[in-house]
Amino acid sequence: MRKLFIGLAVATSALLGLSTSAFAKCGDVSMAEMNWASAELMANIDKVILEEGYGCNVELVAGATMPSFTSMNEKGQPDVAAELWINAVRNPLNKAMKEGRLHSVVEGPITELGEGWWIPPHTRKKHPELKTVLDILKRPDLFPHSEDKSKGAFVGCPAGWGCQLANNNLFRAFEMEKKGWVLVDPGSAAGLDGSMSKAAERGENWFGYYWAPTALIGKYNMVPLDFGVPFAGKENWDGCIVKPEQECANPKPSAWTKSEVHTVITDRFKKQGGAAVTYLTKRVVPGPVMNSMLVFMADQQAGGADAAVEFLKKHEAIWSKWVSADAAKKIKKAL
Amino acid sequence: MDFFEVFPAMDRQGLRDLKKGIDSSFREFSRSYGEGIEDFFEPLLHFLVWLEKLLINAPWPIVIIGIAGLAWIGSRSWKLVAGTVIAFLVIGYFGMWKDTMATLAIISVATLLCISFGIPFGIWMARSDRVQAAITPILDVMQTIPSFVYLIPVVMLLGIGKVPGLIAVCIYAIPPLVRLTNLGIRLVDKEVLEAADAFGADYRQKLFGVQIPLALPNIFAGVNQTIMMSLAMVVIASMIGVKGLGLPVLRAVSNQYLALGLLNGLAIVILAIIFDRVSQAYGRRLQAHREGNGHD
Repeated sequence: MRKLFIGLAVATSALLGLSTSAFAKCGDVSMAEMNWASAELMANIDKVILEEGYGCNVELVAGATMPSFTSMNEKGQPDVAAELWINAVRNPLNKAMKEGRLHSVVEGPITELGEGWWIPPHTRKKHPELKTVLDILKRPDLFPHSEDKSKGAFVGCPAGWGCQLANNNLFRAFEMEKKGWVLVDPGSAAGLDGSMSKAAERGENWFGYYWAPTALIGKYNMVPLDFGVPFAGKENWDGCIVKPEQECANPKPSAWTKSEVHTVITDRFKKQGGAAVTYLTKRVVPGPVMNSMLVFMADQQAGGADAAVEFLKKHEAIWSKWVSADAAKKIKKAL
Repeated sequence: MDFFEVFPAMDRQGLRDLKKGIDSSFREFSRSYGEGIEDFFEPLLHFLVWLEKLLINAPWPIVIIGIAGLAWIGSRSWKLVAGTVIAFLVIGYFGMWKDTMATLAIISVATLLCISFGIPFGIWMARSDRVQAAITPILDVMQTIPSFVYLIPVVMLLGIGKVPGLIAVCIYAIPPLVRLTNLGIRLVDKEVLEAADAFGADYRQKLFGVQIPLALPNIFAGVNQTIMMSLAMVVIASMIGVKGLGLPVLRAVSNQYLALGLLNGLAIVILAIIFDRVSQAYGRRLQAHREGNGHD
């Protein structure tokens, strides 16, 4: 008799366990919503899918590469960074992953990413001889700095972006100051966008940092530049270029490293997230689709939330592969 | 009853078309007049760049002596001059000299511009109730609209750099001065004005001989507020690329470097206090006639 009871108890709890994991209430999740368009879109897509399909309670926390990563590393909050560009934080991230505090669940949540130095298409047309960065560095006169027309202006990254350190060190490595260039700090994302947009709209020459996929690159058809030198090795990049100036005495000129973007989650979320974590491992957005969504966001002036709804409505074929059939049904109903 | 659940807003497409219409008309404006507006501001930009280079490249003892001299002329107070010198020595010692000189250059020009435009506008407002009614809402907008709302069109027109930063600072810092000048002049006793009339004063004599001197406490309160607000805008100006103390503060905020932010923030505060005390002391000296014990 006792064996029967025990057997029944085990069977019932197993059944209960199975059913609860199917409708896993994954609890509270905090996700980083970083301050650029594709990250905003990713965070909002994740929010809708996790809330409607998996019953999570998602809170979006505003952030950027450096502050969000530091917060996840030091305090374990937020739980998820959907689009972490790890070039600048590779070493501390590797350390955290080895210690088991953070985990990368997807390498390349968007395909065909790239950071680098760009020029507008009219500059390329007017000066076809400027094929690589080295060629451009010889002509600071073509990119006059508004505050000092004798020097060329190279627009770098604003504070808090991993690329600010890389651009600073590459500026030194290529000896750009000696060649008559000034590294312009645009101050903020809006400053960088404004500077590039103004030059693109007015047909002026512009030379600076940007990345894809972004709406502005698509809108103005900016031309990525070949660096003219090969990638100078991981030790130079991770050990020097992405570090602050005082820790990088001898930067070597190098092409930009292949951009690695990961979706990173904290250990706590990995253990408690359940089905949500499985979804995150499968979530990969194809590059051209992301570009088209970004152009949509720019044209229609849509925020992350609106664009996420548009993405879920238009690209069911893509996102239904990431989620379980149950969740897909629930999400479709909610749209 | 759905009508009461969700506000009957304009339909999405209509709203989008409206926004896109505004954007494209601004883009047209920028394309046609952008060059002209940039050329108009060229002299101002040259002056700002020259002043910044002057302050940064001059040997630091000379700059400190110059600033101490200005403090003396303004306040005639040894304590203030000593405080100014010590403050700048401390700022330099903590490695913030270049940034402070850059901020000093742009903020001095901004403050001077604000004062030279603000006081006349305040006087104009004080002359006529209709002008006051027309200008007050404009001042309200200038003070409360989030800076990036007007910075976006300014950056599209003029790019990032000193002139848009100056415009941002001035838009935010002028309203207190205009309002307080207007208030000060309107508060001048009617009997005193009648007495001036009785003595045969014409408009200009009344304005410069009676109204402005009596309104000076309010005007200087306005100058103080303008100075404080222009220094408060230093960080926003840095968000569109203005060099100075704002950039390290932005870096500190973005990277969580507490000490860097604190030090540079305190340097901004010190600058504000020095500017303020000197101008207040100057204002008090101008009003020495009120105290009755008018020796300085």
